[in-house]
Amino acid sequence: MTAAMNTSFEPSSLLPAVALGDVSAFERLYDRHSSTLYALLLRILANPDDAQEVLQETFVKAWTNAKMFDSVRGSDVAWLISIARSRGIDRLRSRKIRGDREDEAGREVSSSFGFVEKRTGADDAIQSEERLAVRGALAELPEAQRAALALAYFEGLSQSEIAEKLGEPLGTIKTRMQLGMKKLRESLKAFR
Amino acid sequence: MMTHEQLESIAPLDAIGAAAAEEASAFHAHLVSCASCRRVRDEYEEASTLLARDLDPVAPPPEVRARIFSALDGSGEGGKVVDARDRFQSSRWWTAAAVVFLALWGWRELSVRVGREKDNSREAEIRHMAEENQLLTARNEKLSAEIAALASQDTRTIALTGQQVSPSASARVFLEPQQRRAVVFFYNLPANPAGKSYQLWILRGDQPKPQSAGVFDVTQSGGASISIENLPLATEIKGLAVTLEPKGGVAQPTNTNFFVAGNT
Repeated sequence: MTAAMNTSFEPSSLLPAVALGDVSAFERLYDRHSSTLYALLLRILANPDDAQEVLQETFVKAWTNAKMFDSVRGSDVAWLISIARSRGIDRLRSRKIRGDREDEAGREVSSSFGFVEKRTGADDAIQSEERLAVRGALAELPEAQRAALALAYFEGLSQSEIAEKLGEPLGTIKTRMQLGMKKLRESLKAFR
Repeated sequence: MMTHEQLESIAPLDAIGAAAAEEASAFHAHLVSCASCRRVRDEYEEASTLLARDLDPVAPPPEVRARIFSALDGSGEGGKVVDARDRFQSSRWWTAAAVVFLALWGWRELSVRVGREKDNSREAEIRHMAEENQLLTARNEKLSAEIAALASQDTRTIALTGQQVSPSASARVFLEPQQRRAVVFFYNLPANPAGKSYQLWILRGDQPKPQSAGVFDVTQSGGASISIENLPLATEIKGLAVTLEPKGGVAQPTNTNFFVAGNT
């Protein structure tokens, strides 16, 4: 781990200032993390309108609930991602319940926003140092573990739904996800 | 009943939202009283965000920023949203009216949303307080049961003495054979190092291997207590002993360096 890499992960929490009603801190928070959250919501919802609406909900919630943030429990970005992911998955599920699920066309929309699995050299050139470090950590995950975690994280599937989707025994999926998460947790410790 | 180790193994699945409903339920009940698992769960949740941070960032349209900030402050940013729309209007007066209408409508809409978020936040706080109340009630019931165990006429007292690695340590066991439960108080044990926990073992006459009776941590004061439910029959308990084990405990002791021990 290089010193520069540590610097890029150094927590610089804006949420305590946001909790005190500091709008400029909130603006910096938005400018710093909105692109990450929007990419996540596009990945989950595959629909720009829905993603923008949930992004807005996420930041409104961050503004009203900032006082509940505890920096001991995690970073600003992790807190925001947890809110966005939770709301995104809720929206995805309610959409599924309504039978209004996005079809393949929606997936095509999502790929046009640049989060296709296979990235180009030009993409790599603009990676920030932090994301390169994250990518390095994720590259260490075996593909099978990564695929199972992605189904849970981005599609909100339970372990039994993942087992059914991948045609694997439930116990295998469970172990695979536990091992994958343990590796991610170890990677996170290395960043700190 | 699941052991601490089994419950902790649910943490990574719970953090990513993939635990089975019954597992999640048992784990969440356990979290109320286990600071160690709460910390582990938080770490897994933060680790799961690496999956999101791996995605190529995509800048949201500027309108989103404008809408959010106009919800916080009705001036400035909200105007930008409206200005972008007036290019599509044929009449300046109609545009002005539309601007006012849209600004008022947008402001009202977002104010309602902020209000709803505040309501949700208050509801979350109320739920949190209700959970804390439940926890306190549970603790109160547990304490009452422990006091009853200590005060019962049938309660037997067993002394555990410090062994070679910690001669000044001791423990006192209050065993209620009828209820098959006990409360154990430990004194002068050295604080357990990070990554290690003390584990209490029941040495049984009817089984060759010791049985775990629970895992506990000791602070700088050297004191700790542990409640044990569903004990074996008193006649089957030969003795009790404490070892230092990996954090969270193990299925069988990994060493025979007893800190306190005693026969029943």
